Amino acid sequence: MTQFLFGLFLLIGLMLPPVANLMESVMIVHMHMQMPMLVIAGFLMARIFQQRFPQFFAKYNQNGVPGILLFIIIIAYWMLPRTMDEALTVQSVEIFKFISLPFLAGVPLRDSWKKLSKPAKNNIITLFTVMFLGMGWLYIQSNAQLCNNYLVIDQIILGWGFITMAICMVIYLIYVFAVDPSQYE
Amino acid sequence: MIKNRQTKVSSILVLVFGLILFYVGTDGFTAYTAESARVTKLIEDQPEFPDVTFEDSEGRTYSISEFKGKYVFITFIYTGCTTICIQLEENMSQVYDLIPSEYLGKDIVFLSISFDPARDDPATLDKYKDLFKSDGETWRMARIPEQAQLDTLLKKFGVIVIPDGNGNFAHNSAFYLVDQQGALVDVMDFTKVTEAADKLVNIMEADKEE
Repeated sequence: MTQFLFGLFLLIGLMLPPVANLMESVMIVHMHMQMPMLVIAGFLMARIFQQRFPQFFAKYNQNGVPGILLFIIIIAYWMLPRTMDEALTVQSVEIFKFISLPFLAGVPLRDSWKKLSKPAKNNIITLFTVMFLGMGWLYIQSNAQLCNNYLVIDQIILGWGFITMAICMVIYLIYVFAVDPSQYE
Repeated sequence: MIKNRQTKVSSILVLVFGLILFYVGTDGFTAYTAESARVTKLIEDQPEFPDVTFEDSEGRTYSISEFKGKYVFITFIYTGCTTICIQLEENMSQVYDLIPSEYLGKDIVFLSISFDPARDDPATLDKYKDLFKSDGETWRMARIPEQAQLDTLLKKFGVIVIPDGNGNFAHNSAFYLVDQQGALVDVMDFTKVTEAADKLVNIMEADKEE
């Protein structure tokens, strides 16, 4: 319950217009802070849904695949330059952002992650590494303004943000493949 | 076994949902940036050029009706710009050179509109136009002194201008084509010079045959 309240307060806090406006005024904060925080809010709230509807999750997300697919789709959708722009200019897209990221990405992530096998988890991380490298490259090399509401310099900063995250994930993957924890136990 | 089937069904549902979400979100997998969506919508809507008063590099003032019966090929610029506008105007000048001179001024007029009226007075525009060998007649450069009118135009034509705080502006760039009746009929990629020129010449020739 406490977790749920934390998640709920986080979501409400993020939705407050002054907070939302402030975070959205900087491109990289919009993409790499506000959006992940919305996912985290959903992740925290997920527990209560799992307890209330255990049947539903057991039936329709038995092996975790549908949930993680939904997570990937929602995250990929919010990586499009256009959706970021429209979240700022179109009210309904902004509302969809505040609903989809916590409830369609955060909640299924929590339910699915534990159900996935280790190789599956690593594959998901690899997939996101590739996606982040691709998006980073796209935002850095593009001289044209991809988002009408942000400057090209913001775009380049965001691109490097993507690359940095990708590098972190690569380090993690190397660690997973190179180190066998059982040797140290 | 039955449980597995339900999970399969929900996987498929999720994928269908994803497909619809991306389809709707990108106008049928065509517009991945807000800019391309904007252009698609403009060409569909064909908005009328609003009633604004220009002041050109020679200090003349007129409205869009000055160009009635002619096509107007438009770009939006500001003269203090050191990056994209120069490329935009350079490309515009290449299009200008590719248009047969018989059409220039008679069937089509080139017009560069400044969105920085505070600094781009007629004298500044006059100097700027010489950089691109604009003659001030068949290719005019003008500002819209009235800020309210300028804002209406920018909004209608979807030109987004963001001041960066150092006296510069970030803005989206394109070639705009307004027809004889003052309706926006096309928005072209400003990096594709020959394509734009070919399009213009085709339109002129088609009109001549009529």
